[in-house]
Amino acid sequence: MLCYGLVSAGEAVHFEDIRVGEEYTSPARTVTEADIVIFAGLSGDYNVLHTDAEYMKASLFGERIAHGLLGLSIQQGLLARGMPAWAGESLGGLRWKLKGPIKIGDTIHVRARVAAKKAAAGPGPGVVTIARTVLNQRGEVVQEGETEHAVQRRGG
Amino acid sequence: MTLTEAHVALFAGVAETRRALDPGAVPDLLPLCLSSGLGWRVPQPPLVVLAFMGFEWRFLQPARIGDTIRSRSRTLTKRPMREGGIIVEGREILNQRGEIVQSGRLTLLVARRPRP
Repeated sequence: MLCYGLVSAGEAVHFEDIRVGEEYTSPARTVTEADIVIFAGLSGDYNVLHTDAEYMKASLFGERIAHGLLGLSIQQGLLARGMPAWAGESLGGLRWKLKGPIKIGDTIHVRARVAAKKAAAGPGPGVVTIARTVLNQRGEVVQEGETEHAVQRRGG
Repeated sequence: MTLTEAHVALFAGVAETRRALDPGAVPDLLPLCLSSGLGWRVPQPPLVVLAFMGFEWRFLQPARIGDTIRSRSRTLTKRPMREGGIIVEGREILNQRGEIVQSGRLTLLVARRPRP
């Protein structure tokens, strides 16, 4: 399984160390036009929503907006900077709602809370659920959802 | 599409992902992100998506640099609305061995055909 922590699995926080109700706040980051252009190039998603400034003037949003999956990817990186690394962490699943647009120049951050923990029947990793809210500079929720993470047990 | 070191490096830059200890590892969200562009390379014209509303997703097994992924989609439900319609798309990402790496369902607001 993947580990994106800066520390080795031996030093990281294990399943047993995590408490339901723990809260984390990420640093903030301004989403730029460059982020959207790079993400379009990387993903191959050149939808007019993200790439055509003229077309988008007449749209529901009035201007280009960030890809929903760009917002998801950025919040993942941001929250990783605002919480401890978990041992052997890997993403198992997520449920995600895109509540509002992220526009060029918006500054977003993440508020998160450990919503649930479930130990495996055997010695395998436990599952930790994080509830996340992504907010813009006006405090409006732009994305929210839950992510499920496999986390190693101590000695596991 | 074959997953390369370049994809991982670009993704790490834009998403601020910490690099894995394992140099062959691919960030969990990367195959999902790449699948959104793979859908543009099929002969069928793309859906006129007005907004991406939400999704549920399962990460079934890790992908690695050098794996070749493809994506398979199916329209599961369709609900008309005044401005357009809500489409639920089922999507699977498969590797070169035909194993499902990730799968889920995406909810999209899709435009109506313009009136002539």
